[in-house]
Amino acid sequence: MHCKQLESVLEAEGLGPLPVEAQQHLAGCQSCQDMLADFSTIAITAKSIPAEMQPPDRIWISVRAQLEAEGIIHEPVEVLEHSSRLQGQSEGFWQNLSALFRPRNLATVGVGLLLAVGAFLQTRKNGPSIGGPNDTTGTKVASSTPPPPTGLVPPTTASKVSLPSPSEAGVTLQQAEQDLPNIQLAGNSTVDASLRQSLRTVDEFIAECEYHLKMNPQDELAREYLYSAYQQKAELLAAMMDSGRSEH
Amino acid sequence: MYDNLKHTVLLGTLSAGLLFCATIPVLATTPEHQERHFNVKGHPVVVLQNIVNGRIEVKSSKNSEIIVGSTAVADKVAIDIEQVGDRIDISATSLATSSDPHEVEANFQLTVPEQTELQLRTQTGLIYVEQVNGDMKLQSVAGDIHLKEVSGYIIVKTTSGSLVCTQCGGKLEFNSISGGAQVLQPALTGINLMTVTGNILYDGDFIRTGVYSMNSGRGLVEVRFSGNDSFDLTTKSLSGTVDNQATQFLKPDSHTSRKEIRNYQKHQGTVGQGLAKVELSSYSGTIRILKRD
Repeated sequence: MHCKQLESVLEAEGLGPLPVEAQQHLAGCQSCQDMLADFSTIAITAKSIPAEMQPPDRIWISVRAQLEAEGIIHEPVEVLEHSSRLQGQSEGFWQNLSALFRPRNLATVGVGLLLAVGAFLQTRKNGPSIGGPNDTTGTKVASSTPPPPTGLVPPTTASKVSLPSPSEAGVTLQQAEQDLPNIQLAGNSTVDASLRQSLRTVDEFIAECEYHLKMNPQDELAREYLYSAYQQKAELLAAMMDSGRSEH
Repeated sequence: MYDNLKHTVLLGTLSAGLLFCATIPVLATTPEHQERHFNVKGHPVVVLQNIVNGRIEVKSSKNSEIIVGSTAVADKVAIDIEQVGDRIDISATSLATSSDPHEVEANFQLTVPEQTELQLRTQTGLIYVEQVNGDMKLQSVAGDIHLKEVSGYIIVKTTSGSLVCTQCGGKLEFNSISGGAQVLQPALTGINLMTVTGNILYDGDFIRTGVYSMNSGRGLVEVRFSGNDSFDLTTKSLSGTVDNQATQFLKPDSHTSRKEIRNYQKHQGTVGQGLAKVELSSYSGTIRILKRD
């Protein structure tokens, strides 16, 4: 018997009494002995863990704070301490869910999704870091091999997900921006002026990056700045929508 | 005689009425100050959402209580404060009708334990935090953010407001469109600063093993380091300029051997042993590197 065969036996029969052949192999194979010891340790440790673990209160607090920060909930909601209370509040849950799909909220969620795409694109470029076009805290696997020109991004073999090209991301953001005239902003002249001015600034910068990339499709730094600007625009649009919503 | 008396009383009543009527709007627009105290244990969390204009000031004390002081015009701003365990939720919203231009204001003064987590958000007006240790997320549209002697994982997001971070520790993340960032005398182990048009200034030491990333699309990125620092420096600029006034302190980079094909200017160098990592980039702005006296 070989190591692979022993693995198959363990997979099929678990840690119970092993067949004679397996025992003979195990007696002379240090690697398989170590593996079996590891499996036994895991099994013993797993038995010592309680069947159900209650998440700590701080998890609910964080979730609630995040939902409030994103404007998805407004009314005070008590911290859910026991799962039994969830049943009684199922109606509230459905109310919150339906509120989530009101048009303006949907727009915010849409921009949120764009943000997620933007963040994913940036992560893909920079590796698992906290962002920024020049961040080197993560592994820069993708940066050494620039993606193909606009509109020709192939699906990744790992995820089989087709990512939007810079132009696609730009078009999606433009569509989100077109909804803005229908949204009344905060009514606060300083804030409104700042938001609109910032939108103009970021639009100009995006146009500059896009033009440069059109001329130099392989320019990695310009591409990083462009993705970063898309992300900022998405956040700004979300802030503008949120600003309008919070006042009504 | 009686007519005169009647006339005087009438005149007095009218005057009092006029005075009362004149006082009502004054009273209605006079900001009221309120103060509330909350006992907390451990490391509390303060979440403040100021949807109107106003300043937020946070200072620390040795006491296990949070004091929330607020100043606002009562009939124009609704201030809600709620305590859930060690979390204090504060919100200020406008009561003005949506069609009115409402430049209403609510100012907050918070006193918190030294170890407190903060999530503060305002539209305009300064956010000022001093001597608080804990993670914090600070957001503003047009207001500036000043931090002094704070530490933790600090996330700052503004649209046009600027950041001044003096003697900060931990990690700092800053993201803005037109706001700038000044990081002075820091003890930060990692920073990531990003602005589209704002300027960035880093004046201080680089902690060994720290990673420092500063990026401005069109603004100035300026770094002032000391002779005792030890870091690897990389600058990237697409169409801007690199003003290196410390060439004599920068040795050729010893850690990178790979040759790259690129369309932008890239400079690398090492100060000391190159223990920290510093990356500066600009799209079309200026990168300036200086050594402090």
